[in-house]
Amino acid sequence: MTISTRIFSFVALLLGLACNSLQAQTVVITNPSVPTESFSAKELLDVYTLNKAHWENGSRITVFDLKSGKVKETFYDHLGISEQELQRIWLRKQFTGKARPPRSMSNEDDVVRMVESTPGGIGYVSERAVAGKKNVRIVARIK
Amino acid sequence: MRFILRTKDMRISFDISLISVPLILLGMMAATATTNAQVDDALQLFGSMQTIFFHQESRIDTDIPALGFSSSGTETRNTFALQQMDIFLRKEIDADFTAFVDLEFQLNYSSDQRWGSVSIQEAWLNYHLSDAINLKMGLLFPAFNHLNEIKNRLALQPYLFRPLVYERLLSRKFFAEDFIPEHAFFQVHGALPTGNWFVDYAAYAGNAEASYISRSAPDGSIITDLNPNFEFLSGVDPSNIKLKLFGGRLGVRTRDEQFKVGLSLTHDYNNLRDSTRYPGHVLSGPARRLLGSDAPRIRVGQDLTGRLGDFWLEFEAIKVLYNLDEADRLSIEIEQSFFSGVLGYDIIPEVTTYATLQYGDYTFGLDSDYFLYGFGGAWRVNDAISAKAQFVVYDEQFNDSPSEGSTVISQHVCITFVFLGFSILL
Repeated sequence: MTISTRIFSFVALLLGLACNSLQAQTVVITNPSVPTESFSAKELLDVYTLNKAHWENGSRITVFDLKSGKVKETFYDHLGISEQELQRIWLRKQFTGKARPPRSMSNEDDVVRMVESTPGGIGYVSERAVAGKKNVRIVARIK
Repeated sequence: MRFILRTKDMRISFDISLISVPLILLGMMAATATTNAQVDDALQLFGSMQTIFFHQESRIDTDIPALGFSSSGTETRNTFALQQMDIFLRKEIDADFTAFVDLEFQLNYSSDQRWGSVSIQEAWLNYHLSDAINLKMGLLFPAFNHLNEIKNRLALQPYLFRPLVYERLLSRKFFAEDFIPEHAFFQVHGALPTGNWFVDYAAYAGNAEASYISRSAPDGSIITDLNPNFEFLSGVDPSNIKLKLFGGRLGVRTRDEQFKVGLSLTHDYNNLRDSTRYPGHVLSGPARRLLGSDAPRIRVGQDLTGRLGDFWLEFEAIKVLYNLDEADRLSIEIEQSFFSGVLGYDIIPEVTTYATLQYGDYTFGLDSDYFLYGFGGAWRVNDAISAKAQFVVYDEQFNDSPSEGSTVISQHVCITFVFLGFSILL
């Protein structure tokens, strides 16, 4: 193996690792209309348990969720709550009229598109899904 | 109500009973919901239903020791039923106002066959001032213990047969309002975050208990237990502000909602003017002297719910206290109490099992105790369907005189139920 081939392989490996790391990181995104610029896990839990229904500027929060996948598991682990528990909480809030449950999207591109177009919208995706997107704001990173 | 529809070639007339009007409105609203499906403030239409089969074996033993008399009887019955169906409508009118309606159909409802019932259980408007202050106006389930706000949300509960005072199948036996506030009309409520907890509060006001509400007699006249001279409407509460319901709940819960505890309190009056609500087997001889009055009543409730790993717990206690001079003077005990505990275990996320124990003491001048114990399970087949099964034993012991001065009757009633059913989210 020549020196140039070795250097090329090393660079390719580094790029691969970087891309992999970009894909692995889960980010929480909001519509630019949302006044809050960063969120703790506790604040995200309040949003996803629908205990917080309005942003500080008085607008309604619209929550987006993913149907399944590794990104979803990472996000729920970050919140410290299981999917079954969240669904139980959402059902109780929905059936008592207190809130509407999050809208469940099949893929990350749909989450990004909906958060972009929904004032007060919040969702979570892998960082790769928001690369180059100007109309969403990253408000938390989860490793 | 008679409507006439004219077309070029024919003239069609049809009757719309009062009961049909909400159904037609519902259909129109559903059509709007579909039209506005892509709009954020579209009408949300959803619902639930529960269909059951139950088998019941009953045994009653009666003894009159003074006469040396004893008898017993047994009966077995079983039935299929659409236990309940609820249609919910919710609309986010703007950032601050939300409207909500719950239409409830019970027991194979058919107006034609006179089966079951249909009712508006909730219809309210909520004004959101902040997460800490909300104002709810309209017909609503007030915050009282854990179950009162979801008492008719059968799909949210793992059981088919609810704790006794909440169970509509027993509404002819237990007057729910003796233990819980059924409805209120104004409520201020909110949640205050403090550390890892929320402090929940609610304060509300509503009508006097339902038996005060004026009703229509078959001949069209208005029936009321208060002054009939001024009564010209049915369905309204003709009582003075003094008799109205006032109450509230104060509680805390963890931010992840895994643990919740609260204390509830209400003040209103028990309508002892309505003698039809208190037949001989419910109100004993001496206590019938209390009829004709308004009995000041305080309900005190404590609730505790929690999850720890795969275990879960629901506990409620209700104590009903009266302040009635006449009862004190006659030394008639009229207090009532109710305790319910459910301990559950999730075998896997989709399957839960539980055991329940309930106890009540329906004094009101009677020496009557009842126990309920049983167990059950629920299997979440998918996001919308749950299969449920429950076994329940109801045991009631009664010792009293049906009329003043008569001999004491001892009665023991034991009913065993097996319930099977499905809850379906619509």
